Amino acid sequence: MKARIVTAAFLITSVIMTNFIPASAAAEADKPVVLRVCNWEEYIDQGDWDDDEVIDLESGDVFGQNPMVKDFEDWYYETYGKRVKVEYSTFGTNEDLYNMLTIGDVYDLVCPSEYMIMKLMADDMVQPLSDEFFDPTIDTNYYIKGVSPYIRNIFETHDINGVTWDRCAAGYMWGITGFVYNPDVVSKEEASTWKLLENADYKRQVTIKDNVRDAYFAAVGALKSDLLTSDEFKNRPDYAMALQDEMNDVSLETVNNVQEYLQQVKDNLYSFETDSGKADMITGKVVANYQWSGDAVYTMDQAEEDDYYLNFAAPRESTNIYFDGWVMLKKGISQDPAKQQAAEAFINFVSRPDNAIRDMYYIGYTSVISGGDDGRVFEYLEWTYGAEDDTEDVTEYPVGYFFSGDPDDEDYILTVPTEQLDRQLGAQYPSSDVIDRASIMIYFDQAQSEVINRMWIRVRCFNILNVPVWVWIAGLLAICAAVFLILRHKAAKEKLYN
Amino acid sequence: MRFSRKTLGIPYAVFLLLFVVAPLLVLFYYAFTNGQGQFTLLNLTGFFTDPNTVGTLFYSFVLALTTTAVCLLLAYPTAYILTTGRLKKNSVVIMIFIMPMWINFSLRITALKEILDLIEGNLAYYPFLNSVIGMTYDFLPFMILPIYNTLAKMDGSLIEAAKDLGANDRHAFLRITLPLSLPGIISGVSMVLLPAMTNYVVLDMLYNSTYIMGSLIGSYFAAYNWHGGSMIALILLGIICLFNLINDDDRGETVKTGGALL
Repeated sequence: MKARIVTAAFLITSVIMTNFIPASAAAEADKPVVLRVCNWEEYIDQGDWDDDEVIDLESGDVFGQNPMVKDFEDWYYETYGKRVKVEYSTFGTNEDLYNMLTIGDVYDLVCPSEYMIMKLMADDMVQPLSDEFFDPTIDTNYYIKGVSPYIRNIFETHDINGVTWDRCAAGYMWGITGFVYNPDVVSKEEASTWKLLENADYKRQVTIKDNVRDAYFAAVGALKSDLLTSDEFKNRPDYAMALQDEMNDVSLETVNNVQEYLQQVKDNLYSFETDSGKADMITGKVVANYQWSGDAVYTMDQAEEDDYYLNFAAPRESTNIYFDGWVMLKKGISQDPAKQQAAEAFINFVSRPDNAIRDMYYIGYTSVISGGDDGRVFEYLEWTYGAEDDTEDVTEYPVGYFFSGDPDDEDYILTVPTEQLDRQLGAQYPSSDVIDRASIMIYFDQAQSEVINRMWIRVRCFNILNVPVWVWIAGLLAICAAVFLILRHKAAKEKLYN
Repeated sequence: MRFSRKTLGIPYAVFLLLFVVAPLLVLFYYAFTNGQGQFTLLNLTGFFTDPNTVGTLFYSFVLALTTTAVCLLLAYPTAYILTTGRLKKNSVVIMIFIMPMWINFSLRITALKEILDLIEGNLAYYPFLNSVIGMTYDFLPFMILPIYNTLAKMDGSLIEAAKDLGANDRHAFLRITLPLSLPGIISGVSMVLLPAMTNYVVLDMLYNSTYIMGSLIGSYFAAYNWHGGSMIALILLGIICLFNLINDDDRGETVKTGGALL
């Protein structure tokens, strides 16, 4: 029997071998490069747009017919004459991605948030970008030609162990955090502070994110509200740096205060949500919802379809500016130049202004691409938000900080309906005064993370010491009663049968 | 080619080895090691000395116990009515109970959320009640089916005999039907109690502020603490084993009493 199975197995393998070996030998020359990309869920254009969704800019139409990944494969073949096969997979949270990588999943190109990029860099898992990638004279280097000077500056001025971010990471999307709120119930004033979390007028009607970093940032913002909004602090010459230090304060005292604060506001909140906040906001179950700006745009868009208008506000204390960026992983690339070239080409392809527009339109987040000499991204902004000729209440909205690095650049001023300042535009391209009070949340080292995570578990868990005494007594009595009944029942039965 | 019984078992043995035994070993490894891969019992002692983790275990247990009790109270009469056949279209009624299982559970929970919201106004004021309702809604079929199965297989002549011997309806039920349906109740309880302690997805979708054992494991993993998370999973596994031991005892007991009754 065993012999027969072995023979069968041998036969099957040899059939497979004979079929494959000649084929692969023949195809050695144009064997496609396999590029394993791992990105956030729903974070890239999947194509298949309806015909009426075409973005008809003056300089040409932008339309998502095929998935972005498919377009990249075709473009790569046309440009480099080589085949590339993208194996595209997704992750749900930065932590999930990190866990996947530590389990042993291998990817060539991943797109985590800034703090996870910092962690990966600190763990020496990241393959630096090549020098060619930064050469603006190469025609297909869309990233370096098109990245916003504002984003570029941040990437060049932040480092981990002396290596600046820009050497290892290329930005993809960015945004800020704040509250989506229902303006009929909550005033702009009330929504523009992290203290909305403790506002008893909206008891059980506000949601917060169910992850330690976002909750921590909000709590620190609320706790230090007085300091952060004082003129004295805001007028400090080193305001930006001081703000970042305050918002990233993980001293034991602050961690304890945050714990106490979150435990207090827990009863005032509707829920700690992972993904349900958007739907709860649209269906009106909550009146305000702590949200990332890209999801805020999505929420407002969805609500608008039901003629329900929501607003977005960035807290006056500080808002958390975040980035998602592409990094190549050493383990995946494994010093294969063909692979690295394909990975960098992928970054450049999604950074081409028309592709950046497609992604932005599809997912609602804001691309780091401003376009450089290519004016299409700004054109898209005008196309999306520009006021119609008959709009009465219009405002001039400068976005020069993003497009040219000069906040007052007259070439980059939008004329928009005033209401858009508190709606999608204000979330997708925050005004420069919001940007001024934006703070990055850095990655915490292992010891700090442990302290914060323990704090978080304490906030979320049910402390057994909070169980009132009468519950213990009642429980004990119930158990005694049950044991007594069972014993009596057994005794009665014994008696019956004997 | 003819296959012996042994060869037919190979696919499942491979499956068992790869997806049950191997992960279990990994679980054990992680639960009893620290970040440096050294043997430690700290994960175990840490769990039982922290009032927060023990509290969550306690809370989950109370929640699961309540859910199980509610499920049992709803399921037993239902199964009983179904088997005693007083309803004309029995198969239709059974279908009504089984049908929810065919519908995707996330869809069901989302619908339930809207219904509860309509009734309560604001879900956030009743986290415990909502959790019990959500869990009950999700697990009720798992309680009905085993009870229904044991009741349906029961020999009706036993009841007749009891009545011949002078037992009234109440006595016949308490002395014959209930003890004989015990295996169904036990398997129903074991199918509801333990999932109800960990199935935080239901709560996440319904009202994400109730924190149970499953959420705790999730929090540990999100903090890259595989060791602490594995230990919690192992502790839950221990509780299941303990429960099954008692369960087995009871089953022997039932067979004995059943035999004695005959």
